[in-house]
Amino acid sequence: MDFLPFLLVQCLNALSQAALLFFLGVGLTLIFGIMRIVNFAHGTFYMLGAFLGYSAAHLSGSFWFALIAGPIIAGGVGAAFEIGLLRPLYRRGDSAFLMVTFGLTLVLGDITRLLWGVDPLQISLPNALGAIVFLFDEPFPTYRLFLAAAGIIVAVAIWQFLERTRLGLLIRATSQNAEMVHALGVNVNLVRSGIFGIGCGLAALGGVLAAPMVTASLGMAGNAIIDAFVIVIIGGMGSFLGSLLAAVLVAFVQVFGTYYFPDFALAAMYLLMLLVLMIRPGGLLGKEI
Amino acid sequence: MSTHNAVPRRVLLSSLTAAALAGGGQRWALAADAIKIGMPVTLTGALGSIGTQMRQACEFWAKQVNASDGLLGRPIELVIEDTAGNPSNTVRKAQEMVERSGVRLLTCIVASNEALAVAPKLTEWDAIFVSGDNGDGRLTGESLVPNFFRPNTSGPMGTRAVALWLRDSPMKKFYGIGMDYAWGHNSMDVFAAEVKRAGKEFLGAVFSPTGTKDFSPYITKIRQSGAEGCYLVLAGDDNNAFLSQAKQYRLGDKIQLLTEQVDEGSINAVGDAAVGLIGGSRYSATLDNPANKAFVAAWQKEYGRLPQMFEGDQYQSCIVLQAAIEKAGSIDAAKVRSAMENLIVNSVKGRVEMRACDHQGEQAGFVVKVVKRPGMEHPVPEVVATYPADRITPPCNQMSYDN
Repeated sequence: MDFLPFLLVQCLNALSQAALLFFLGVGLTLIFGIMRIVNFAHGTFYMLGAFLGYSAAHLSGSFWFALIAGPIIAGGVGAAFEIGLLRPLYRRGDSAFLMVTFGLTLVLGDITRLLWGVDPLQISLPNALGAIVFLFDEPFPTYRLFLAAAGIIVAVAIWQFLERTRLGLLIRATSQNAEMVHALGVNVNLVRSGIFGIGCGLAALGGVLAAPMVTASLGMAGNAIIDAFVIVIIGGMGSFLGSLLAAVLVAFVQVFGTYYFPDFALAAMYLLMLLVLMIRPGGLLGKEI
Repeated sequence: MSTHNAVPRRVLLSSLTAAALAGGGQRWALAADAIKIGMPVTLTGALGSIGTQMRQACEFWAKQVNASDGLLGRPIELVIEDTAGNPSNTVRKAQEMVERSGVRLLTCIVASNEALAVAPKLTEWDAIFVSGDNGDGRLTGESLVPNFFRPNTSGPMGTRAVALWLRDSPMKKFYGIGMDYAWGHNSMDVFAAEVKRAGKEFLGAVFSPTGTKDFSPYITKIRQSGAEGCYLVLAGDDNNAFLSQAKQYRLGDKIQLLTEQVDEGSINAVGDAAVGLIGGSRYSATLDNPANKAFVAAWQKEYGRLPQMFEGDQYQSCIVLQAAIEKAGSIDAAKVRSAMENLIVNSVKGRVEMRACDHQGEQAGFVVKVVKRPGMEHPVPEVVATYPADRITPPCNQMSYDN
């Protein structure tokens, strides 16, 4: 393989992985930014999305339906959890949230096991997405192109939503000063439930999209929560743009690092995190701690 | 499929006993007459899915025997306990079975380290242990005890089949990808040595950390290696992820994917992405012999699906045990032992001879290819090469081969 096609293929690979990491990280960072809650159950929503996606695709026969239904149901579960269990705890300390969201990972994990069993499940792709295209005579899966495109579309959509809509304005305002927003007559609780649901839904979207590449399995959750934290820490807690930047950076370091230094494949992501934290302790776009 | 439900032990035990007895109706007046088979089996944890297969094979066998005239005119009662894969648990549970339930016959122990822990106790317990899947070569080698028998394919025998297939194949250049821990490296070393012994070229291997999700850099490396065949030493989620992504990259179009042992759990998980994979197998539902055809038909009627690899292997061990008891006319350990030695049985995997020198069952070895069959939900492993028992079984008490 010549260098140029190689470079193109690997860059596209990295972008497709960046999209998955972004879906995972952005929800966690939004939730933290608005609510100051570290959602330990975030990886579990990613896994739940994959299993919900499997059932939706299986029942409807459409991958596209699964792509919409999975995140909406998971987002609903997330919002319901916020209303039912987190809201009574807002006056408590941070450890309460950590315990409750950690408890949720166990409960949701077992529910998933009971509903779907322990065997991994595969979401099959529609023909158009399961095909290959040739880039300089190198076969490349269309699904990875689709992932990269989906990442860009969702990133732009969230950015526009936060910057251009009234709800986006309220979300940004709530993250700055929740009490002031509340005093101005805005139902802050509703904003919080909404953002928790959206964050969980985005993780679930990542899960549905990852399933055709890694199968839906119970092991997804533990892996995903670590990736999500790395993204949020590199990007800066609570920063939307930071999570986008971090996802792209981590994906490129992983793809090229694994290719050139396979013995250090596991360490690459953490070395990057270490480097960023040494230079900017609050993350790339985060506030100084 | 393993389960983590905490079913109380006694309930599990008695209900399974009842299930085993129910197969024969109420033909037998006293359950005390029953031949008890002890099964300290791993049902939870990492190996739970294998243990679940093995248990199902034993239950199926017990039901079959009880539905006819029983064994020596007596019903079979399975005494089942979950060991969670912990060898000290296994020894303790087996000892309980021997002392409290009067068990003298053991089978269905999943992991080799559990089997190695139980073996030294057998003489003291005056019990016979018939392996259903244990692979470790030492069990019929340096760690052999008089009351241990292995009717199933051992680990070295499984690797041997793939090595023989390699010699005959037209492929010349090989590459490998393995999981980056002891098993991945060891298996890759064995494979590389076999490739070289066959006079072929091993181009190198790459190792991926456990839990790898994106295999694209590895797939690029495999493609660039210029190999005709790529050996996979991957398991679980990593194996599923690799096969799914390799399919998306059409890797199999140019490079033949090979593996040590074709894992049916993976086939069921990734579906079409496993098609074309070639590897060793201890048992395949597609084996063409009368005993297997009858077994597969009865199994399908009972469970509505094909028997899987460990189900077939464990079932054969049950049949060998049954034949030994019938020949001995007793379940006395000394009598079963002498009946078992040199016993010849024609079962689901063909002819098995329990040789007296190291208690290993001499039998054929298989290499399978995953294919799609019309009318079946999942692709199935189909036998592409069969090697005779004398080429597959190592010399007595040995784990390696002379040629």
